[in-house]
This record gives sequence, structure tokens and C-alpha cells, in this order.
Amino acid sequence: MADMTVFVARTVRTMEPSLPVAEAIAVRDGRIVEVGTLDTMRPWLESQRHEIDDTFKEHCIMPGFVDPHLHPSMAAILLPMHFTTAVGWDLPWEDIGPVRDGEQFLARMVSLDTTLAPGEPLFAFGHHPIWHGPIDRSDLNQISTTRPIVAWHRGYHSITVNDACLRWMDTDTAAAVRHPQVDLDAGKFFETGLSVALRHLRGYLLETERFLAGLDRMRRVIHHGGHTTIGDAALGFYGFEQEWEHLQTVMEQLDTPFRVQLMPFVMGPEGDERSDDEFVERVLAYPSRSTHRLRFSDHVKMFADGGFFAELLMLKPPGHLDGRHGEWMTPPERFEAVARALWNARRRIHVHCSGDLGVELALSTLEKLQWERPRFDHRFTFEHFGISSSQQVDRMAAVGAVASVNAYYVYELAEAFAARAVGYERASQTSRLGSLERAGVRFAVHSDFPMAPAKPLNNAWVAANRLTESGAVMGATERASLDAAIKAITTNAAYVLGLEEEIGSLRWGKRADFTVLEADPYEVGAAALRDIPIWGTVFEGHKFPISSD
Amino acid sequence: MGTDTPKDLVPVTVIAGYLGAGKTTLINELLAHDHGLRLAVLVNDFGAVNIDAALIADHDGQTISLQNGCVCCSIADELGDALDRVLALEPAPDQIVIEASGVADPANVAAYGQGWPGCRLDAIVVLADAETVQAKSRDQFVGELVVSQLRRADIVMATKCDLVTGAGLVAVVGWLAETAPGAPILTHRAGQLQSELLLEADQDINATSPKRSLNGSTGTAESNFDSVVIEVHDAVERDRVEAALQGWPESVLRVKGILRFHGTADGLHIVQRVGRRWSVERAADSFNSEHRGKLVVIGLPGTLHHRDLIASLLG
Repeated sequence: MADMTVFVARTVRTMEPSLPVAEAIAVRDGRIVEVGTLDTMRPWLESQRHEIDDTFKEHCIMPGFVDPHLHPSMAAILLPMHFTTAVGWDLPWEDIGPVRDGEQFLARMVSLDTTLAPGEPLFAFGHHPIWHGPIDRSDLNQISTTRPIVAWHRGYHSITVNDACLRWMDTDTAAAVRHPQVDLDAGKFFETGLSVALRHLRGYLLETERFLAGLDRMRRVIHHGGHTTIGDAALGFYGFEQEWEHLQTVMEQLDTPFRVQLMPFVMGPEGDERSDDEFVERVLAYPSRSTHRLRFSDHVKMFADGGFFAELLMLKPPGHLDGRHGEWMTPPERFEAVARALWNARRRIHVHCSGDLGVELALSTLEKLQWERPRFDHRFTFEHFGISSSQQVDRMAAVGAVASVNAYYVYELAEAFAARAVGYERASQTSRLGSLERAGVRFAVHSDFPMAPAKPLNNAWVAANRLTESGAVMGATERASLDAAIKAITTNAAYVLGLEEEIGSLRWGKRADFTVLEADPYEVGAAALRDIPIWGTVFEGHKFPISSD
Repeated sequence: MGTDTPKDLVPVTVIAGYLGAGKTTLINELLAHDHGLRLAVLVNDFGAVNIDAALIADHDGQTISLQNGCVCCSIADELGDALDRVLALEPAPDQIVIEASGVADPANVAAYGQGWPGCRLDAIVVLADAETVQAKSRDQFVGELVVSQLRRADIVMATKCDLVTGAGLVAVVGWLAETAPGAPILTHRAGQLQSELLLEADQDINATSPKRSLNGSTGTAESNFDSVVIEVHDAVERDRVEAALQGWPESVLRVKGILRFHGTADGLHIVQRVGRRWSVERAADSFNSEHRGKLVVIGLPGTLHHRDLIASLLG
């Protein structure tokens, strides 16, 4: 048996500036021995028992893709549901076409109803009034009077249910009538009203068997996207220990072809100054739990303002079109205090920030901390980065920040945000990447899955083209170059997670993680990035074709 | 699907306000106060609650039970779960007080009081630190939030008033009145809690007079509010009552009563007003028809004129 495997390919795109293109990669014990050509590798080939693997002789080998920010637990809850989104989802077990309007929505609900076992609740995720128009419980009653039906809003914060579901939830009618965020006639539970519904639904959605099945689907989604490393950007939303237990059960199987970098999150409760040190102590203790595929490091997650899809972003003047306010997820004073404690404990801080006021909170905090206690290479990371200004980008460059950007906002939301949320100028500059590139701020792009599809090539495509779902270009000057877009799913994504010595590019000593493509992204160009078929991945030297999944 | 009547529902008071507004101090005073009520207080952070160890009867990690019958309960992750926990207590609490997080929209927290099974909303009380609230209202990050919280208030309570000068207090109260139009502005000094204004359960409309004198005998200094009881023997016009509840000045702080309306065969109605929030609801059947109409009104000293109040109700 050979000690070393040499993969040969039509092209190897190493993403290493010193040797950008190669033809072969030698691998031993899950790590790269050398990258080059069969000719330049001769000293290794002559000294090691080896075999040549030419499976990829017509393919392009890339460094294994990295998505530094998604949410496995949230996906585990969502993936067992049936998708009815206006934009289609190509999931490994099903290619779900777009559900464009109200008629298609009801037709899809009817067909789902016929496929389920009698009495099994129907959870449909993705209703959005912009596309599907309003629905209410009478619409859902027409689909079934006996099966509980829940139509979950695309933005997560509301549901519409039928009568059978009201009975299933043992709804307290009088209380529901009094509740300002429950519209019982319409069967709608929104914002805090959703908590009333979740009181019953949570048990069902978080039930172990269902959750594990959801996580297993998540595993397939990740493989199909071509990832070999992902970041779980907020472990513990549904209960830390339970999530940790379930993640170990599913992700540590031998056939899981990727690793998960776990970021515990810290949201500062108010009023208790003592807790800063407790946070730090807890965060410092996590790395000792790391397993082979599930790892903690010195990276932690914090939250500034509310979510982009949920329209809870905090904006500087002139604010939202309709005058609404967003939400702080952490009180600004607490944010600063907790960030300081983590900064002084040498943690690498990632901040969820959606609007330019959220960015401002993170940025002004970072500026303050740099003044108080300067650090090099601190990797303070701006996550999502929905609305920002180019001046903020310059300041980020000045204090050594990095960014992990949700480029997909441009594709699905920029036009809707222009029309309904923030006007055209700011919406067209959503997820600015060109400014980051020009200012020399390193950036990754992420999916925030299940917010957006877990497809790095698709994210890179949006980053480099800034095309919306309707085909319009939004903010052409904020496009990333092709090279920056590819780095954003490889080297720079690894850098954002602090794993650049181990993954992200192909050179001696790194993990033998590859994403194998049917075409070379640098040859097909930016416009065709998302159409490149993925053969599969190699994880730590082992081949995982998508076709066998 | 279950149903309940207004009488079964436990009133919920939301204590809101930005960080540093004095919510925890107020809650500590409420818990230690000798008001004779069974309060359930839901707090964000147990660590900050500073209860005299001698008062604690039991502490199971999630709930601290006090000798005086009150409980203090951690919200932890889910407000709904915490509400369910205290609603399940035997006997049920007389009133639930929720401490809203400093960045919460009080209306979102109040929505739980309004519509969580077993509860109804009494009032949103928004606290404002008399020393710092005006500066906070101009803060880049939280200015809008501080102002929008105040605008949600049924009652505004200026706190730490002992730390500002007389002129400073006049200025901040004026600013608060302008910022939260329609809401009465109360002032609070450390250790001088006016629980009768915060707690609905203190008002007993079945008694012939307020449960106890409101004039300084509650053990807190400077608790000077007037209270009048209006007997209403005959049926009254609903429209008129609603207009009165809506139109009485901010100096009328609390109203609770039971009335019979003209032209309605469906029994007695409970009318309430707390600060600028008011409601009229059908009374539970357990209120027997023998019940005499009556209103208990609490207001700032010297502002309640029995005759004027009656005139606006009866015309």
C-alpha cells in the first residue's frame, strides 16, 4: 500500500501567490506534501511509496471552499420543513423551483398536502407577501381542515396557521384575541406573538430525532456546496449543551467531509459588571472541548444591531424609509464593556452588524480599544456588513479590521430594500466589496445559511457581478474583482477564521482539502462562476464525490 | 381552545427604560416593600438583584421566594417560559412585574402582558434617570431608542431625583412631559417607593374605601396622593365614561371601577386607567348584579375634585 497519493489535475489553482498554478498535489496522512508538477516533485516521488490518482485529470482542483459564517442548528430546524420561497433552492435531495406568486404558493401547498401522511403537520418555509400576497387562515383551511399547517415567513419572524393548527397548539383564544401581535382571524402570529405559538411548536421542532435528521440534511448541503470547512457563527442559540451534543453526534461521523469552526457567542446581559470576567473565563475554557472536526479557538461572536432579512438593522440618518427603528441586540454600553474584556483577553472578536449604525458601534469600539491597548493582527471581523459607507471602510483599514460579508443580500434583497426599506442609493451599495478591496481590507463572503443558499461559488458570483434576482446590476463599483471573489471563499475565508496556516490555499504542510470543479473559475470568468459544476471534494486526502451522496 | 375571563387574569406591569435608568433599584425596593401583595417579579439578571438574605425563604436557582410571599424569577432565555412558571404558582401571584431589557421596545414586552395566556397588561412604566436622560437622548447610538421608549410609557418615572437640583428637576420633568405627551411624570427618590401607583392589585374595588390610606401610611415617606371613591348607583352612558377616561388630565394617575352602562344587557363593566392607558371590559360573571357601581381614583394632591369628576362621568 502506498504511503503517498499524488493527485494530478488539468489545473491546480493553489491560491498561493508564490506558485499560483500547478498540475499535481502529493498527499500523505491527510496533509499536502508538495504542490507542483510530476517533474518538480521527483525528489518526493523517488523517496516515497506512492500512487498516482488521475481521477481529476480533466478537472480543476481548488483549495477546499470555506464559508466562515453559517448556522447549522438553525438549519437543522429549517431543513426538515418544505421550502416555498420566491427564489428557488437547489437542495441535495430536491431541486425546489421558485414559487413566484400567490397562485403558485397555494398550488405548492396543495401538492405538499397530498404527499404527507395523514395528520402529519405541514411546515412550509418561505412565504413572503412581496411575492405571494397576503395569506390567512381561511386560505390554509382550504388546503386542509385536519392537518396542522404552518406557513413560515421568509424573514422568520411570523407564521400563519390554519384551524387544525390552532387546535393542535391548544390555542388560548381569549389570550390570542388580546395579544397585539396575534391576528387570530388571519391565523397570524408575529414578532412577540410568535413566542405564543412557539410555546407549543418548539417542542416539536426541537425534538431530538427531527433535529438530528435536520443536521444530517445540513451535512449534505455543506458537502454539495463544495465546502471542506465551515464556521458555526453562533453556537448555542437553542441551548449550548444540547446543540454541542447533537453536533458531535452528527458531524463526528467518519464520512463527514468537512470540519466546523465553532464560535461561541456573547450577548452581554445588562446590569452585572461581574459577568465580563465570567464570559471571558467561559470562552477561554471552550477550546479544551475541541474534537477532530469540531473546533473552538480564540474567535468569539458578538452582536451589534438586528438582522438584515428581518429589517431590524440600525441606520444612521436618514434612517428607514418608513421611519421605523431597528434594534440593538446588545446595549451599546454593554457591547463596549464586553468587547473590551474579550479584547484584553486576546480574543478575536467577530461582530454581527447589519446597518451603518451597527457598523459604527463596532468600528468606534474597535478604534477605542486600539487606542487603549493596541494589538496587531487582532482579526476584529465585521460580519454581514449590509449597509456601510466608504469612509467607514477607510477607518476599518486604518485599525486593521477584516470583513466577512453577506454578498447574497444584493441578489435577493437589494431591489426590495431600494423600493421599500432604505431607498436606492444605500440599497445599491449593500454589501460593499469594491471599497473593501480598494482599501486593502481582507474580506470573506458567507452565506449565513439558512439565510442564503450555502453555495460558495454562488456567493462569489454575486460578489463579482452584483446581479439581482431580476437581472439588474446594483452598485457596479462595489463589485469584487474575480480574484478577490475567489479569495473570499478560500484564502481570505480561512484567514477570517484564523485557520490560514492550515487551510485556504494549497501548499506543503496544509490539510489536503480540495474542492474539485469541472472548470477553472479563472478561465470561465466572473459571469459563469455559479454555473461551474462541482465534482465533489477531497477532505484530508479522502475523495468525496457528490454523485455518490 | 381555552377561554378565560378578565377576572382570572393576572395584571402585568412592565418596568422599562434604558440601561442605568434605575430599573433594578426600583425592583429591589418593590420586593422588599411591605405592600402585602404576592408579587412575581421577572428580572433579566439575577446577579443584580440584591435581596436581603434574611428575607429569602427559598432559592432554587430559577426562583427566589421571599418571606413576604413575593417571588423573584429569572427570565433567562424565554419570557414566555418565565411567565408560565410564575402563573403556575400556588396561590397565583396578585401581580406580575416584568423588567424589560434596556434595549427592548417596551411595547414588545407589554405584548406578553396583553396576550400571554393568563395575563393582561396593567401598564408600561418607563424609568428615566433624571441626571442623564437628556444627554442619553442625544446619544448617537441610543438617542432614538431612549426617546421611543419614553413615548411608549403609560407612566414615566424620573429616578434618582435626589441627585439633581430643584431647578434641574423642574427642567427634566418639563422635558419628559414634552417627550412623552399624555403620560404623567412621577418622581422617585431612592428608598421612597410609591407602590400604590405602580401596582394595580393595590386597588380593591370591592372595599368601601381604598385598601389602606394612601397618605403616607404605607411606610414610605412623601407618598402623598389623593384618592377619591365615587359611588355610581345608576347606569351611565358608555360613551361618556370613555370620553372621561380619555380626557381626564395626566394628574389622574389611576382609575379602577365597576360600572353598569345604559342600553347594555350584558352586565357590569370594569373600567381602568393607568396613566394614559385606559380600558373598558365586561366584568366576569362572578361579579354579581347586586354590585354597586363605583370608581376609585388616585391622583396628584389637590387635583381630584369629586364634583368635577362626577360631572364629567354623568353630565
